[in-house]
Amino acid sequence: MSIRRETPSGPTPLEMRLAESGVPCKVETRAGLAVLIATPDVVAKLGDAELRRTALALAREHGFTHVAIELRADPAQ
Amino acid sequence: MATTSADKELALQNWLRSRGRVAIGFSGGVDSAYLAVVARQTLGVGDVLAVIGRSASYPAEQWAIAREVAAGFDVGVVELDTDELNDPRYAANPSNRCYFCKTELWSRLVPLAHERGFATVVDGTNADDLSDYRPGAQAAREHGVLSPLADLGFTKRDIREQSRTLGIPTWAQPSSPCLSSRIPYGTSVTPQRLGQVEQAERALRALGIADDLRVRYHDDLARVELRGETLAYWLAPDRFAQLTDAVSAAGFARVALDLRGFRSGSLNVLHGVTAA
Repeated sequence: MSIRRETPSGPTPLEMRLAESGVPCKVETRAGLAVLIATPDVVAKLGDAELRRTALALAREHGFTHVAIELRADPAQ
Repeated sequence: MATTSADKELALQNWLRSRGRVAIGFSGGVDSAYLAVVARQTLGVGDVLAVIGRSASYPAEQWAIAREVAAGFDVGVVELDTDELNDPRYAANPSNRCYFCKTELWSRLVPLAHERGFATVVDGTNADDLSDYRPGAQAAREHGVLSPLADLGFTKRDIREQSRTLGIPTWAQPSSPCLSSRIPYGTSVTPQRLGQVEQAERALRALGIADDLRVRYHDDLARVELRGETLAYWLAPDRFAQLTDAVSAAGFARVALDLRGFRSGSLNVLHGVTAA
């Protein structure tokens, strides 16, 4: 499976839409899977079902079939 | 066709009597456990044989459940080892991987059943399965294996309902497809990868997650699928470290929670085999 990190030069359209919706994060793409990398407080916010639905809908609009949030204490690692 | 689950069970009993003796491909899952118990209660102990196919692609706990159900309901059991991982067509993990697994299973199980005087061999396929992508069903057909639960219109819900009535402990058991279903098509199936998935899922069970869960293998990353309410619980910062530690111990460098949560056949969707 191909793995591609988003370029460090600036946020991608999906990252911008997610941030506007309250989910600031980096997005790593693995074919149809988007892996969101965010701070622990953003991870916790996704406990809200409505916010998860919003993130899923945005990812679908950008061609992803699956979205997962990475669980790491320090997203800068 | 019968419409209530109780009526479907009567139809199943009649079907079983018409066959006389049956051998069952028995995984200890919800469907085959129910079928084995009804067959035993309908036909008697000497006319039912439950055959457990043991392979690396099923968690060891599953065999224990199968043995427990068989012992509890006085169902005769035979265990045979299958070796699909040594079939390169299977290990390469194409989208029809299940066909090669079931070919291996039935090519061993059906002759064994016939040798013991069981002309009819059945599996636990149910009516809901018919709408899913199941290349293994072709192997069953090629070996003359029948699927009475599907043919008589049993849904998973029917089977759980009747299993509960009969006191079969599997009635509330989560579905348990083989571990290879956690590995994306095209990524080879190896004992080491299956072991990682098995260990990670066992660790999550040990945290108290009792309902449906899957650990999907994405190389260094484990993508965990949980039911909605359970998912929200584990997203809390003071909890997700426990979950990460449990899954990382199985050899995954990274752990992610799927935001849609558990869905059967998730990797079929990822590969465009079935619709999202």
